Order: sequence, then C-alpha cells, then structure tokens
Amino acid sequence: MGTMLHHSVRKAAEKTPHKVAFRCMQESLTYQELLSRSTRLAYVLRELGIAHGDRVGIFLNRCLDSPAAVYGILEAGAAFVPLDPFAPASRNAFVLDDCGIKVVISNNSQRRQLAGLLKEAPDLNALVGTALDLSVPQHLVPNQAPLDSTSASRTDPHDLAYIMYTSGTTGTPKGIMHTHFSGLSYAQLSSDVYGVRSEDRIGNHSPLHFDISTFGYFTGPLCGATTVLSTDAHTKLPSSLAQMIEDEKLTIWYSVPLALTQILQRGNLAERNWDNLRWVLYGGEPFPVKHLQTLMQHTPKATWSNVYGPAEVNQCTYHHLSSPPIGDTPIPLGQIWDRTKALVLNSKDQTVDQGEQGELLIHSDTMMQGYWKRPDLTERAFYHDASALKYYRTGDLVHTDEEGRLHFDGRKDRQIKTRGYRVELDEVEAALITCIDLTEAAVFAIKHDGETILVAAIVSSSTEELYEQMVIQHLKKLVPPYSIPARFVRMDKLPRTPAGKVDHQSLIENEKRVK
Amino acid sequence: MSDILIQYLKAEILGDLNEEITPEDDLLGSGLVDSMGMMKFIGFIESEFGFSVPPGDMVIENFMTVAAIESYIKQMTGK
Repeated sequence: MGTMLHHSVRKAAEKTPHKVAFRCMQESLTYQELLSRSTRLAYVLRELGIAHGDRVGIFLNRCLDSPAAVYGILEAGAAFVPLDPFAPASRNAFVLDDCGIKVVISNNSQRRQLAGLLKEAPDLNALVGTALDLSVPQHLVPNQAPLDSTSASRTDPHDLAYIMYTSGTTGTPKGIMHTHFSGLSYAQLSSDVYGVRSEDRIGNHSPLHFDISTFGYFTGPLCGATTVLSTDAHTKLPSSLAQMIEDEKLTIWYSVPLALTQILQRGNLAERNWDNLRWVLYGGEPFPVKHLQTLMQHTPKATWSNVYGPAEVNQCTYHHLSSPPIGDTPIPLGQIWDRTKALVLNSKDQTVDQGEQGELLIHSDTMMQGYWKRPDLTERAFYHDASALKYYRTGDLVHTDEEGRLHFDGRKDRQIKTRGYRVELDEVEAALITCIDLTEAAVFAIKHDGETILVAAIVSSSTEELYEQMVIQHLKKLVPPYSIPARFVRMDKLPRTPAGKVDHQSLIENEKRVK
Repeated sequence: MSDILIQYLKAEILGDLNEEITPEDDLLGSGLVDSMGMMKFIGFIESEFGFSVPPGDMVIENFMTVAAIESYIKQMTGK
C-alpha cells in the first residue's frame, strides 16, 4: 500500500497498465489512461496556481471524467470537493465560498447547471474541462502530457484528501474533512473484509458527493480492480440498472437499499441473471426485510452485508448474511470492524451495560479530521476518553445483544435518513420559515410503504390557491431535492406540548390517522 | 413528433418555455428531468400516443433522449 490515495492508481498502472480501472456506459478507462489523464489534469491545475492544500471542486454527473478529476486533484497535492449538480445553485455557491474554491472541474454536459451556479458564485476563477459560452475563463486538459508534468513530491498521509458536505442543523451544510490516511485506511479495511481482488468488478451506484462512493473510487484502485459507474439515468430506470449488473458481470455491488428495492418493484428482476455477484453491500438506511428476502433469493451465490457508518467515519460495522433472514426482525448493524474501537455511552457519558441503550461512539483510522472551518462543531463531535483517545459521537442510539452485535435504535437528535441521504429536519424547517407568508413550520418523517417520507406542517396567512407549489419552488432554491417534503399539511396553529414546544409526536400521530 | 415531446417537457416538466432542449440532450443525466418528472412524462406519452409502456421497456436505450423516445414511440405505434 502506498501512503497516498493516488499511489494506488500509479501502482496499478505500473503493474497492470491495460487493466480497466473504471467503466461507464460501455466506455472504459484503463489504469494507464487514468494515470495519464490525472497527471495531465494535475499539470493544468498547477498551471492555474493550485498548490498543495488547496481545494478544487468537482461538478460532474456520474461519468468517466469523475475518476480522472478525483485522481488529478490528488496528484496536484490538493483536496477534492464533490458538488451535487442536482443541488440548488445557492447551496453549491455556499460550498465554493466556504471552502475558498477558485477552480472547478466539470464538462460540457453540465452547461445549464453551470450557468446557474456562476450567477451565484462570481468569485470562481476558472473552469477546467469545459468549452462553453460562459463568463468565466475555461481550460481544456491537453491530450499530450507536457514534459515537466511530474507529480507533487510531498507525501504526507495526513494531508487533506477530500471534503464531503452534509446537512447541518442550522441551515448551512458542513464539510467533513478526510485525509489520505483515513481514506486509505477505509480502502484497506474494506478490501480485507470483502476480500476484494483485482478480478473483481465493483458496481458503484453512489454519486461522488455521497460517502458510499469511496468504495468504488478508493478500494477498487487500491486492489487494481475494475469499478463500473452507473449513470444518473440508471438511477431513474431500474430495468437498465438491473441489466447493467448482469451485462457488466459485476461481482460486488454497493448501494443504498432504495436502488435495489426499485429493481425489485419495476426492474424486470425475474429476467436477470446475477450469478456473478458474490457480495452485495448496502448501507445508508435499514433494508425493508421482506424486500431483502426476495432479493437474496435471486442471488443465492452472494453474501449480503449490512454496512453501517456515518460519513464522518466512513464505515465502522458490518453484518454478513449468507442466507435470507427469517421473520421480520430488523438486521443488526453487526460487529465493529478492525482498527476500530466503540463505546456505548449514556447521557452522562458513562458506559452502559450490555442490552442497554446508549449513543455509539467510534474511534477508527477511518475517522474524519473534523469539520471544515468549524472548530466549534468539531469539538462537539468528538469525545476524549480517560486515555485521551478521540471518539466520534455518531448521534445514533444502539444497544449490544448477547452475541456482542450492535442494533440500531434510532437517533439522538432530529436527523433522519431518506433514500439513504441524511436530512436534518431542523435545516428544512429553517428553510421553510424563510418562505413568504409562512409563520410556523414543523417537519417530521413518517414511514410509508417501508420508505421514509418527509411531511411539513405549515401555518400561513396566504390565501393563494397554489401556495404549497410556491413553497416547494422556494425550497428548491435552498435545499437538495431529497430534503423537500413530499406532503404539506396546512394548519391554523401547530400543536404544542404543555412546555410550549412543538408537539412532533402529535403531528406524527395525526398524519398516521390520515393515511 | 419531437416538437410535441419537447413542448411538453418545457411546459409541464421544466415549467420554463425559454429552456433550450435538443433531441440529443441527455434528459436524465443533465438534471433536466428527475424520477418523478420521468414518470409524468411516460404517463403523457402513454395517453398521447395510445399505448402503455411495459416496465421492461423503461430503459436507457428508449428514454435517455427525446430522439430515443421518438424512435421508441414509432416502434410501438408502427408509425
């Protein structure tokens, strides 16, 4: 193993130059080509003044430009910051500003979103990879490597490698900082646990701004394996996704449960042969057990694993299933993996007994460095034990069973998961309250057909017939699509507890009665 | 036929008549149409052209671009 994430690509390019590193829509990038493209990109970035420690944005859909961008930025000694092209321009502009990003890598297919982004981000100095009619200087990556394109020589594994942004409670996202060391530790541990070999063909369904993508983007190259990227179109057309898993002869799959349950519901699964799959990993949220059973029956040769870990620690537990689960008991989070320590603490930070509920805290090599430019949040996120060992407070409530496996019991705060994405309900409420004529808002989650959906109770003086549509349009400018409530309930006033707080429990009960 | 499809996309899915859409634009990958929008669009195609789209036909080859959708409709309606 090298000491830096991009060493994986250099090593694989030396050992197996013609092996396919990444594939997308029947197109391939070999390790040699990936190294060449990333080196040329690193050269362009350095010419633009990008130096060690700088942050560079990636504004791309799922395509082969993404791995080249990731490794090009790392080769240049900088850290990559994936932006979500589907997120509102104001949110992406916030990330650019927060991280002090001057250069963004993109391509021509993003022309609409880029035009919107540039209106909100006037400080952006340059785009790389585009040739569009836009007001900002643009640079294409040359086809030939310039002679002096040797890579940055500095190699400190504790250098920042990437920052992933996630919802914050106050209405602005926060950046999770990972180093080469934490990223490589994750790649090494995951390759050990799932026995990843160079023959493996890994299905990467997650967009780059979502932490599950680190498996396809980091573990794949570390093992010299092939990572197959599904496109944004695949996420909307489950039949094509099911076909891709078969046609690409994928051996390992990793996604949120939703991608697989959609295949089950409208993906023509019965006609698909998935016999090449040897391991299916899912994470992000619980898998509805009945769907898991049906899917596992379709893949008798595959081991399935429930993978758990907040983006702050990448992964920290797994639970393997070699045969379909019986009954409808939720699947445990499972056991803590190697090079990782766990604590389960009560509200007074005392260790709880086996079987008792408490908050899960994690210490691991795969752990983040902290939140970008937020020492206040970073300090609150960590706990130091008696020996000054640093643990990340997950905010997840768990208990340990007699066999030492962890089980998920809920959240300590108001963060929920929908379609695998983290949503802070407080952030959605903060966005709602900025709507015109809206005086009060409460957002809560309910289960509907095994899926978590968001409901907003709103109090408004507006008599506008299409008021809810106006609210949705307003929210679209502020929060990502998955944070927009699926249902709106108009109320004269919000129910309150005797202490005067919004009574979320009564709102949830009301909504269940309506359903 | 592509005019009808593009007109519907602009008016009903994007809600912006000034948006430029070409028959070759990647509807799903460029953020033009989301999952819900695609379902709505398929509903429109079914009622407008009088056939139903079986789940197995909802694939990239048939729905990635307006041009792909057009040739799929022609194949289904024999026009």
